[in-house]
Amino acid sequence: MSVRLVVRSFSELCITAGALIVLFVVYLLLWTGVKADSASSDQIDQLHHQWAQGTVSTPAPSASASGRGAPKKTAPPAPAAYKDGKAFAVMYIPRLGKKWSRPVLQDTRVKTLQKGLGHYAGTARLGATGNFAVAGHRRTYGDPFKDFPELRPGDAVVLDDGKTWFTYRIDNKPYLTVPSDIGVIDPVPVKSPFKSPGRYLTLTTCDPEWGSSHRLIAWGHLDSTQPVEQGKPAALRS
Amino acid sequence: MYGWIWRHLPGNAWLRALISIVLALAVVYLLFQYVFPWAEPLLPFNDVTVDQGMEALR
Repeated sequence: MSVRLVVRSFSELCITAGALIVLFVVYLLLWTGVKADSASSDQIDQLHHQWAQGTVSTPAPSASASGRGAPKKTAPPAPAAYKDGKAFAVMYIPRLGKKWSRPVLQDTRVKTLQKGLGHYAGTARLGATGNFAVAGHRRTYGDPFKDFPELRPGDAVVLDDGKTWFTYRIDNKPYLTVPSDIGVIDPVPVKSPFKSPGRYLTLTTCDPEWGSSHRLIAWGHLDSTQPVEQGKPAALRS
Repeated sequence: MYGWIWRHLPGNAWLRALISIVLALAVVYLLFQYVFPWAEPLLPFNDVTVDQGMEALR
């Protein structure tokens, strides 16, 4: 009698575990994508709403507040600092799909990367001299960088921050490295094709697709900018 | 386990079946809403940055 009970309980446990695993796979493959897609479009909608209200260029509380000497009156107002976890731009990469667009949020915390791409805190601002570095999921959460290895030199990476279109051009085939290789997001990235300071872009994601042992890196340089009033840049019109 | 639950549900077979379905859906909801979001970052799919070490400095 008790043997029967043990066998039955064991079978029920196995069935439960199997169901749990199947559910978790469904969650990873489908549900995170559903959540990320709605979070991404929410972020993009919010951005467009903000931009429509013209709050994008609100200057940060000026440097005079910090009390480090009187700032020159001729200096242009510093653009507002990116807020942690908040979207500040939309990225378009035609190579990853005609419709491919994702919000770029400040910082690379787990929660942030679940909503879109993450801008490494401490790297350059969009379009500024230095390295504008962005990380994104390869798999799960909408698979933003699933086709990352397809990137080729010359591919356009277009960003819109509400005032300006920035068109970056990729300069290398994705470069495989290890997670500790922090030099890839330096202002002049180590091992990149670049030798002197400039306005660069770095994209990072994981490799292999479902693993975490390596990172794939793509570098680009700022090719052109144009005000949003002039419409979409050529790279997005083709 | 499941037999024990079944025996302790009230009502006739139909009502029990209905309650079972509701219970199962509730479990799935809890898993998707709370358990999986907690478990998922423990797996390696989230590691897409090159500065995991710097994350700790935040």
